[in-house]
Amino acid sequence: MLEHTELFFKSIFIDNMVFATFLGMCSYLAVSKKVSTAVGLGAAVIFVLAVTVPLNWLLDQYLLRDGALSWLGPEYADYNLSFLSFILFIATIATMVQLVEIVVEKFSPALYNSLGIFLPLIAVNCAILGGSLFMQAREIPSLGLAFNYGLSSGIGWFLAILAIAAIREKIRYSNVPPPLRGLGITFIITGLMAIGFMSFGGMLTGGDEAAPVPEETAVQKKAEEEKMNLEEETEQTTVSYNAIEKE
Amino acid sequence: MSNKRLTFKKRLHIIKHQLRGKKLAPAFNAFHTFLFTPDETTHSGGHIRAADDLKRTMNTVIIALIPVLLFSMFNAGYQYYSAVNGFPENFSVWNDFLTWDNFWIGIIKVLPLVVVSYGVGLLVEFIFAVIKGHEVEEGYLVTGMLVPLIVPIDTPLWMLAVAVVFGVIIGKEVFGGTGMNILNPALTIRAFLFFAYPTWMSGDKVWVYQGMERAGTPDAISGETILGYLAQNSQNEFSYTVSDMFFGFIPGSVGETSTFLILLGGLFLIFSKIASWRIMVSAVAGALAMGLIFNGVVDAGWITESSKFYGLMSFDFWKHLIVGGLAFGIVYMATDPVTGSQTNRGKWIYGFLIGFISVMIRVFNPAYPEGVFLAILLMNVFAPTIDHYVVQANVKRRMKRFKNAVILPKDAEEAKLKVETI
Repeated sequence: MLEHTELFFKSIFIDNMVFATFLGMCSYLAVSKKVSTAVGLGAAVIFVLAVTVPLNWLLDQYLLRDGALSWLGPEYADYNLSFLSFILFIATIATMVQLVEIVVEKFSPALYNSLGIFLPLIAVNCAILGGSLFMQAREIPSLGLAFNYGLSSGIGWFLAILAIAAIREKIRYSNVPPPLRGLGITFIITGLMAIGFMSFGGMLTGGDEAAPVPEETAVQKKAEEEKMNLEEETEQTTVSYNAIEKE
Repeated sequence: MSNKRLTFKKRLHIIKHQLRGKKLAPAFNAFHTFLFTPDETTHSGGHIRAADDLKRTMNTVIIALIPVLLFSMFNAGYQYYSAVNGFPENFSVWNDFLTWDNFWIGIIKVLPLVVVSYGVGLLVEFIFAVIKGHEVEEGYLVTGMLVPLIVPIDTPLWMLAVAVVFGVIIGKEVFGGTGMNILNPALTIRAFLFFAYPTWMSGDKVWVYQGMERAGTPDAISGETILGYLAQNSQNEFSYTVSDMFFGFIPGSVGETSTFLILLGGLFLIFSKIASWRIMVSAVAGALAMGLIFNGVVDAGWITESSKFYGLMSFDFWKHLIVGGLAFGIVYMATDPVTGSQTNRGKWIYGFLIGFISVMIRVFNPAYPEGVFLAILLMNVFAPTIDHYVVQANVKRRMKRFKNAVILPKDAEEAKLKVETI
């Protein structure tokens, strides 16, 4: 339960798809002019991520990675099909996106029209493929966690596009210098927003990324080494005691 | 009529008319309107004549900041001499704190920060005003005062200058100037400094004058902030009493230490109706709520004393308000009317989340024990979203009320009127 909560908040705030890895920028920049369309696209991204990441997890687990085929029999244990990851992951994603497109067109034609080309383009949204590839690279251990990871990454992306859409609605009447209007100012806003999101950087991991005060780390290292030495000694002693007992 | 007889005000008006249409006109007008209300009369449309224009608003905030600035100048010296000679045994405000020696350190360390901040920032503003051909905007008056108060005292002046240029241009001018920025410029400057030069912004050396110069020498001095101490140690053992923390005789960023004076400034801003009391009250409530949750976790025994979060988690919840920059951030920066939430209901949500997230970052993020400025920046990012949904909810509610409204037929209305008159 604890690891689920941790992964959830980590993927939303700390490893935010937009502000930490800058993935999925094209639709993030293009469809963030109005809050209502941004919400629609964000919801679609949440859905696609939450479905494709666990599906791809299953593919990865039982088909692609080193030794994944051993369930077919011992003679298949040596196969490593992970070079097929990209094409299989993308195939899954494209299928899911087609499904979403059909559903959205049927139930909300207005949203379908306002999203336009960007709905099918979710298939090549790097945040979606990125979610699956991060899942593979971080070796997420279970199907439940994979689903959690997909869902929370999607929510992080949703929050990002929601915030920037509201900001862009707010600055619509601002006197932005003409060369910066449109995409230019959006890039600058994204950078500034990333500064705001940096407040979470290093949280939970204990601030390893931030530069600590050098002398203290040296002292801490020394203390840790001493602690390790002590532990080793105690282990040795226990071993020897066991040996005596056996004798 | 000779020129001598004219009042100072009248003479300024004459110079103004001479400069009209020239390149330097915006620069002169900036100084002129700083002192006096302009003498122009408008000819079209309906206008309200009011004294509280943008410059008066900004000046009010500056007046609220001046006690903090003076205190910080004394505190700079007090922290320096305490670090060198040890803390005075029988502390008395008159003999140990309000002395000329202390003030002199303030003059040579704090005043240059103020001068550089104003000089560089206003220079950028003037350049932009002359290029774009509009009046110099007033926005920097408060930012320029806030910036020196939220940096550590040993910040090199060139760093401050670089950060101010970044903050004013990227944080404000690219959006079209005062009133259009999305992030508080003072906090943008602080965040730039924090992420660009982390060694000068945290640790235990930067909070005291000469701390960085003397580091590594036999005369090394250090003054750790209470939060920095707690993030490293799990015991609540330090020599500062609660009244030290409340009145501000502790190390910290230049102006953030004295909660007492900040409280007075906050009251002044509330009574002059410049700052929103909703944001202040809800931010305090948010901080207390998060502090109570953490204290509850410690009391329930869910966390061991060896945990790296124990020190800050077991810190009494109300003490979070009087250490670090929380009070300063809430009173002077969260209440920024441009970047904060605009709607009343939005202000409650916005303020509460600022307090809540500040204390959360303090505890969970040992790298940034000073999480207030980041929490405010984060909520600045989400303020438009909050506003959007508050407005939408309002629109929906009123549409519903309109639909459900029963319009009485004319006869019934007349009958009702009759009954009422009888």
